[in-house]
Amino acid sequence: MSRQTELFERRAVISGVGQSAIGRQIDRSGFQLTLDAVLAAVDDAGLTVDDIDGLAMFPGGGKANVPGYANGDLYEVQDALRVTTTWRQGQVEGMSLPFYGPAQAVATGQARHVVIWRTVKEGSAARNAGGRPAYGATRPEAEGPLAWLLPVGMLSPVCQVAPFATRYMHDYGLTREQLAWIPVTQRAHAARNPDAVYRSPLTVDDYLSARMISTPLCLYDCDVPADGATAFVVSAADTAADLRAPVGIEAMAGVIDGRPSWDQWEDMGRVGHATAAAMWARTDLRPGDVDAAQLYDGFSIEAVWWLEAMGFCGTGEAGAFVEGGKRIALDGDLPLNTWGGQLSGGRLHAGFGHTAEAVRQLRGEAGDRQVPGAQVVAVTNVGGIEAGAALLTALR
Amino acid sequence: MAGAHRSQTSATTGIPPGMTDETAPFWEAAAAGRLLVERCSNCGAESFPPRGICRACRSRQTVPVAVAERGVVYSYTVNHQRWLPDLEVPYAIVLVEFPDHPGVRVPGRLRGCPPEDVTVGLEVEVGFEAGPGDVAIPSFVAVGGRS
Repeated sequence: MSRQTELFERRAVISGVGQSAIGRQIDRSGFQLTLDAVLAAVDDAGLTVDDIDGLAMFPGGGKANVPGYANGDLYEVQDALRVTTTWRQGQVEGMSLPFYGPAQAVATGQARHVVIWRTVKEGSAARNAGGRPAYGATRPEAEGPLAWLLPVGMLSPVCQVAPFATRYMHDYGLTREQLAWIPVTQRAHAARNPDAVYRSPLTVDDYLSARMISTPLCLYDCDVPADGATAFVVSAADTAADLRAPVGIEAMAGVIDGRPSWDQWEDMGRVGHATAAAMWARTDLRPGDVDAAQLYDGFSIEAVWWLEAMGFCGTGEAGAFVEGGKRIALDGDLPLNTWGGQLSGGRLHAGFGHTAEAVRQLRGEAGDRQVPGAQVVAVTNVGGIEAGAALLTALR
Repeated sequence: MAGAHRSQTSATTGIPPGMTDETAPFWEAAAAGRLLVERCSNCGAESFPPRGICRACRSRQTVPVAVAERGVVYSYTVNHQRWLPDLEVPYAIVLVEFPDHPGVRVPGRLRGCPPEDVTVGLEVEVGFEAGPGDVAIPSFVAVGGRS
């Protein structure tokens, strides 16, 4: 495929991926999980820690609206690794994808090899709290945009995303029986992923009889709070000879074209479309060239947004597209969230789990869930108040 | 400050809003039963939430105006999960738009009908109820709902 070098993302590669143990509760500190993932990613890239000259993490600014959300302080990691950095970044909503900022850094020569990590301890935090805590529960008062949501009882991201699902169902006729196929199919994928949090079979009947959380979203529409760290190395493309198995960044974009707010977003039936359009404008590849899709699924409805925004199906058609599960299965036209997604694989958050899986698929290192010969994998993140979409490509 | 989360007499449980220069007038008016949005002195457009700038023409000259007319539910959810210890569930949360106030959408609770009766397009009256931290929170009232 043509690789136009004028696009900055073509001057960057994802060279390493590393993860700690992942589970509902891992008895290990967030900092140790972070080091596990970072060191694994550097080794996976074929590099040594001394090669690293850039560090980045999500979230930036110590932002922690829920217990267990933020771990692995950037300066403590730099101090522990004893490296010199020429570039650092704490990402708040992440420049839309984990590798976005690091790719900018290596493409502009500010660093050669950047490590970025995201570590969650939300599984342990939920257990310690006796249930998934309210969003904002780490602070006595609701700040910023949350000041309009938490006081009236929109106490969790699910309450904030649920009205998008309500409106989408109203506008396009999606049924819960159709939506069920996203968590059900992804659970079947998770069964083939030894690192997934939930691997036992899930049926449509299980879904329809599950307890409601915030209508129309039930338990299985929500991702699984987890403990675990994910790290990547993003390298300058001209270091490829030093790298074990780099993966290309064909195109990426992150556009916010509506009100960046969970309550004020204008058209709750359409999310992510501007980001996807900007991404497709940067490549000659088309939706039909995509071999697998790792679409953000903090909630099942977010994968619905991205199926449509990315052009894998038309607007309003996602329900029919996923119904029965065949198209989105491992042997289907568009294998979806082949690691189980956040719904079954665990809430590794902010596109980190999705990106890790994309890299493994493109290298042919995805084990029992490998999509044979995967050459192009789509990755997306969030959708509403923040959005990112990318195509990653096999280089070898 | 765990006490801030605790339900007081008949007040809904939740997390209270932090007050800023921009938002304090809204909550003060809410306590008096009035729903304030910002109206632009230059072009007349209305904005919510209040930020001291018109979202249409970016004029910094805005004045508070009260929304008293009926609204329409743009979307909603019925929350069933007990996110905080004393939270009473289920309850309906609505995002309300106002035909007479284009550009304004306000989240709030819903009263006046059973939670499961909420629909997109439901007509509601402006209202408030006692919320967390001694503030009055938007609590819209279903028009013609079975109670």
